[in-house]
Amino acid sequence: MVAQPAHTPAPAPVDFDNARILVVDDLRSSRMLIGSVLKSAGFSNIDYAGDGIEALERFEAHEPDIILLDIVMPRMDGFEVSDAIRNRFKSDVPILVQSGVQEAEQRVRAFDMGATDLVSKPINAGELISRLRLHIERRRLIARLQSYQKRMEEELHSAEGMQMSLMKETAEVEAITLPRQARMETFYRPSYKLGGDLWDVFEIDEHRFGVLMVDLSGHGVSAAINAFRLHMLAERSEVDTTDPGQWLARLSDELYEILPIEHFATAFYGVFDTRDLSLTFAGAGAPTPVLRRANGNVEHLDASGLIMGCRSNGHYENQRLMLQPGDRLCLYSDALYENFDTPDGALSVEELSALIVATMEADAEDGFTIDLIKRVFGSVPESFPDDLTILMLEVLRS
Amino acid sequence: MDYKIEQGGDALKVYISGVLTFDDHERFKSVVKAISASASATAEIDLTETKMIDSAGIGMLLLANDRAKKAGKEVRLTGASGHVLKVIQLSKVDEIIPVAS
Repeated sequence: MVAQPAHTPAPAPVDFDNARILVVDDLRSSRMLIGSVLKSAGFSNIDYAGDGIEALERFEAHEPDIILLDIVMPRMDGFEVSDAIRNRFKSDVPILVQSGVQEAEQRVRAFDMGATDLVSKPINAGELISRLRLHIERRRLIARLQSYQKRMEEELHSAEGMQMSLMKETAEVEAITLPRQARMETFYRPSYKLGGDLWDVFEIDEHRFGVLMVDLSGHGVSAAINAFRLHMLAERSEVDTTDPGQWLARLSDELYEILPIEHFATAFYGVFDTRDLSLTFAGAGAPTPVLRRANGNVEHLDASGLIMGCRSNGHYENQRLMLQPGDRLCLYSDALYENFDTPDGALSVEELSALIVATMEADAEDGFTIDLIKRVFGSVPESFPDDLTILMLEVLRS
Repeated sequence: MDYKIEQGGDALKVYISGVLTFDDHERFKSVVKAISASASATAEIDLTETKMIDSAGIGMLLLANDRAKKAGKEVRLTGASGHVLKVIQLSKVDEIIPVAS
């Protein structure tokens, strides 16, 4: 057998040949010269225009991948063409302006009017082809990134819909709480499409319902996946959810099995019982719930406790709280008071509690949660720095 | 977040300053490595200059603790105050990582 020489294929050249190039120049001889330079470099998809008006007509008829533009032309000059393409047609097509070395002022103005780059005039074949290739490649790279980004955004958007559907609608919550002498207001907003917060309200029996609020560590996609996992664990009907401490311990054990070391969850879980208007609850490192009694007294509940998913056999203490009609309890995730951009601007429990109580007392028309957000953030922001959940439970008269 | 690592008498000392959050994930890897690779049996993570910590930051401390344990070492948290101390108290992380006051 004859040994074949080692053969390493050269990297595949970017396919430029089909790039559509619009050559704009009022001199026929210049157009022909440029055309022949382009053809000899392998470009075959070339279009020509003899002045600015014609250039815009050609542009409208079929948008090119790149434009090679002369400045001084009859009827409409290159500056106007460039300006129209950017501002009227809103196109980001690369525009290479041909400019003489002496015309310093023109060069600055060309960039002001939207030129992408300059090529020297008279044309230097090597420079022209190098610059064309550079800008065509750059544009294609950007187009690929844009399409990748668009696809990711669409996927995140559809995942966002799936996550939102884990949280109950107002009517579903009312159907559970109103027959059990309570009402709830809820708010959930992920920091960016997907988040690691999760809340749920579910019936236990004709007298009781459960309120769960969880914050998976981190945010974004991985926190959201963990939130889905936890939701599946929490949804199982065969599990006893009447004892908050035991249930959190069980969820924690299960999370410990599936979560990586550095991931965990904080949680609050309470069971409201209409027979004695009691709330039995346990905390796993959740932010301090704020209770405003009907008589105006304010209490801070202790929802501290070992974060879930860090080890097996954690212990979660049950606490029992006796409530009265008119008592209101606010649960929230840490995004409501933490401020990582300006650490000194973070709210203390006392400051936040005062805002919560003032909101409860104001009974604003746009509801508790929105009014509270306005008081904390000044307005309802487009996006929050972290996933935000707010739940408000009020005991009603029988 | 910024960090400084010093070899103390019998413990490796890691000083964390600023805000320890999700964004520090990559940088913190070097801290985890330094603790695992150190000759000392104990590593003290000093949080005196740590202003705030988020859940991902707590996760990094858990990770450092786990890696150290696997290398037969112990991690201790020291100097926490303000927001960081509140997060530690709320989350009972001291049940996992020893906290020295």
